[in-house]
Amino acid sequence: MDISFSEQDLQFQEEIRAGLNGSEFPANVREKREKGTALSKQDMIDFHKFIHAKGWMGYNWPVEYGGTGWSPVQIYLFLNELALAQCPTILPFGLSMVGPVIYTFGNQEQKDRFLPDILEFNTWWCQGYSEPGSGSDLASLKTKAVLDGDNYIVNGSKTWTTLAQNADWIFCLVRTETTQKKQEGISFLLIDMNTPGIEVKPIITIDGDHEVNSVFFTDVKVPADQLIGEEGKGWTYAKFLLAHERFGIAGVPVVKVQIEKLKDITAEFNDADLSKKITELEIDLEALEFTELRTLAAIAEGGHPGAESSILKIRGTEIQQRLTELFVEAAGQYILPYEGPEGFESNRTPAGPDYASPAVAQYLNYRKTSIYGGSNEIQKNIIAKAILGV
Amino acid sequence: MNLNYSDEQNMLREQVLKFCETNYDFIDREKILVSDSGYSKDNWKQFAELGWLAVPFKEENGGFNFGPIELTVLFEEFGKALVVEPYLSSVVMSGTVIEGSNHPEKVSIIEKIISGEHHVSVAYAEPNIGYNFLDCVTTVSKDAETFSLNGSKSLVLNAANANQYIVLATHENSPALVVIDADIKGLSVHSFKTLDGQTCGELTFENVSLTPESILALGNDAESLFNKMLDLSILCVSAEAVGAMTSSYMKTVQYTKEREQFSQPISNFQVLQHRMVDMFIETELTKSLMIKATLQLDSDDPEVGNTISALKVQVGKAGRLVGQHAVQLHGGMGVSNEMSIGHYLKRFTAIDSMFGNTQYHINKYQTK
Repeated sequence: MDISFSEQDLQFQEEIRAGLNGSEFPANVREKREKGTALSKQDMIDFHKFIHAKGWMGYNWPVEYGGTGWSPVQIYLFLNELALAQCPTILPFGLSMVGPVIYTFGNQEQKDRFLPDILEFNTWWCQGYSEPGSGSDLASLKTKAVLDGDNYIVNGSKTWTTLAQNADWIFCLVRTETTQKKQEGISFLLIDMNTPGIEVKPIITIDGDHEVNSVFFTDVKVPADQLIGEEGKGWTYAKFLLAHERFGIAGVPVVKVQIEKLKDITAEFNDADLSKKITELEIDLEALEFTELRTLAAIAEGGHPGAESSILKIRGTEIQQRLTELFVEAAGQYILPYEGPEGFESNRTPAGPDYASPAVAQYLNYRKTSIYGGSNEIQKNIIAKAILGV
Repeated sequence: MNLNYSDEQNMLREQVLKFCETNYDFIDREKILVSDSGYSKDNWKQFAELGWLAVPFKEENGGFNFGPIELTVLFEEFGKALVVEPYLSSVVMSGTVIEGSNHPEKVSIIEKIISGEHHVSVAYAEPNIGYNFLDCVTTVSKDAETFSLNGSKSLVLNAANANQYIVLATHENSPALVVIDADIKGLSVHSFKTLDGQTCGELTFENVSLTPESILALGNDAESLFNKMLDLSILCVSAEAVGAMTSSYMKTVQYTKEREQFSQPISNFQVLQHRMVDMFIETELTKSLMIKATLQLDSDDPEVGNTISALKVQVGKAGRLVGQHAVQLHGGMGVSNEMSIGHYLKRFTAIDSMFGNTQYHINKYQTK
C-alpha cells in the first residue's frame, strides 16, 4: 500500500492548476464565481468551451472517443483543482451520463453524430427519467413510445428535469412494451428538444429558483435511429449509467473549499461552538474522502465497485447538507431578509453578513441532494440487498 | 395539577381552526404573500372582529385579560396554517411593551391596536450585535431639554405597514425603549421579503427628535420590560412551531398513505414509518416544554427564563428534524414551492433564527 501520489501525478496537478489560473479562463465566469452570483446559460457554455479548449472535457472518457484517458487518480486531482479554482460543476448530463451510454451501447453512426458535440459542448443535454408517478420506483415509468414506420411516437411526461429550459436534447427512458416484468419493456431514446409536441414547464423550488422542470410529450415524432441499443434493454443502459456517475458524486472537493470559507467566517467571530461543529464535519469528510480514494483505487485495478458507491452518495449528501446548516447557523438571524434568484429588489442589500441570504438559499436547495439520483433510502436498500445480502 | 385547557380556551381553538379552514388554504396564503402589504387586511379586520387582537391586553385597557395560555392556543393554530398576519409584532411584542409602560396615550394606542387600525413594530435587532440585543449602538441622546435618536435597526417585522415603532436604544449606557411615529422626520424605512415570505425592514434614524413622553422605559425598567417581551415572543413562536410540526407530520402521514411506489403506499415501508414516529415524538416533546413554559410564565415563576431557553432549543432542533423529514418523505414534491410542505421548513428555519438560535440558547441555559 502507498498513500502518496507519484511525481507525474503532482506534475499533472500543477498543469491543471496553471491552466485554470491562466488568462484563457473566461473572465465573466471567474468574476461571477468570486462574487457568488448565479451563472447564465452563456456563462456555462463559455466555461465548458474553455474546458474543451484545454483538452480536458472528456476527463472521464477513453481516448478512442476523444477523451483524456486519464487514470482515476488524475480524474480525482482534476476535479479537486476545479473546486479549488471555484469552477462551476461540469454538467454531467452529456458528458457523464448519456455520452458513456452512447459510446458503450450506440452504433457507429450515433457515436459520430453525438459524441463530438458533447465534448465540444455544442449540445446541452438533459435527463428524462423521473415521472410524476415514478420516482424511487423508476421502472414503473409510463411515458410511451410506439413504433410507427420509421418513427417512435412518444406520449407522456417527465419531471424534475434539471435545466431542461436550456437543453437541446433529452435522453429518455420510455416504455416500448408492456411486459410482465416492468424493467423489460423500457427503451433508451434520444430526443431533440425542438421536436414539435414537447412542452417545458418550470417547477420553482423552495429556494425560489428555477432549476427543474416538467417536460410534456404529446405525439412527439422521434426518428427510430435515435434509439440506443436494443429495444427493451433501456433499463440495463440506465443501470450502467448510474454506475458511471460515481466520479465526484460525493462532492468532496467542493465541500472542502466551502469548509475553508466557513472557517474564515467563524474565525472572524471567534465562535468556539461553531468551530467544534466544523471540526466534526471535517472529520466526516476525511473519512469520506479516503473512502472515495479506495473506490478510485479499486477502479484503477480494473475493479467494478458497485453498491459501495452508494456510501459516497449517502454520506456525501449528508455532509453537503450539514455544511449548509452550519452556514445558516453562522449567519444567525441575518438569514431573515431573503434574496430571490433575481437579487434583492431595488438592489439594496440588507444589513448582516453577505453570505447570509445565499446560505439559506443553499440550505433549502440542498434538501434535494438526499432525494435526487436515487434517494438515500433507495441507496440504503441497494447496500442492504447487494452487500449485506438481506 | 391540571393540564387541561378550559372550555373557553377550547372554544378559542375551535374558532381559529375554523377560520383557517375557511380562509387559509395554501392558495389563499400564496395570494396574501404576493400582495403589496404582505398580509391580508381583510383577515386582520376579522381578527379584530373576532376579538383576537384583544386577547393579551388587560381589561382596563380594553382587552380580554387573557394570558399566555390563550396566546399559545392562537399561535398553535396559526402555525398549523402558516398564518402570516403580523400578530406577533403588532399584538404580542408591541402590546407587551406598550402595556408595560407609562406612556400617557397607552390606552388609546392599545385601543387602536385592538380595533385593527393600528400596527406597531418593535425594532430590537441591529446589524452588528447578533443576539445581544441590549448592546445596541442606536442611541438616545439628550441635548439640553430635547432628546434625539440616531442609529439603525434591522429585521423589524412588518416594518412597512407599521404606524409606529418601538425602538430599543442605549441612553447613557443603559437601555431605553422609545416609541416614534412612522412618519417622523429623520426616519427612513427599507423593507425586504423574508425567507418564509413575510416582510421585515431596516430603520435608519438621523437626529430623530423625541418628546419626553415618547420614552417608554429607561434602565432596569426598560431591560425587564424588553426581556418580558422576548420571553413571551419566544413562547408564541414556539407554539406556532408546535402547530407547524403537527401539520407537517400529519400532512406527511397523509402523503405517504396516498403516494404509491413499488405497487403499494410508501407508508408501508418501515423506515418511513419510523421517521414519521420520530416527527411525532419531537412534536410532543416540544409541546411539553411549550406548556411548561406557558404555565411558568403565567405564574411569574422565576425559573421561566431557563425553561424558555430549553424550549427555544427544543423548537430549533425539533423544527429542523420535522421540517427536513417532511420534505424528504415528500420526495421531489417536498422541494417544490407549489406544495405547502417546504414552506413549513422555511418557517422552522426562520423561527430558529429569531430571538436567539439553538446554540445561543444552549449557552444561555448552561450559564444559569
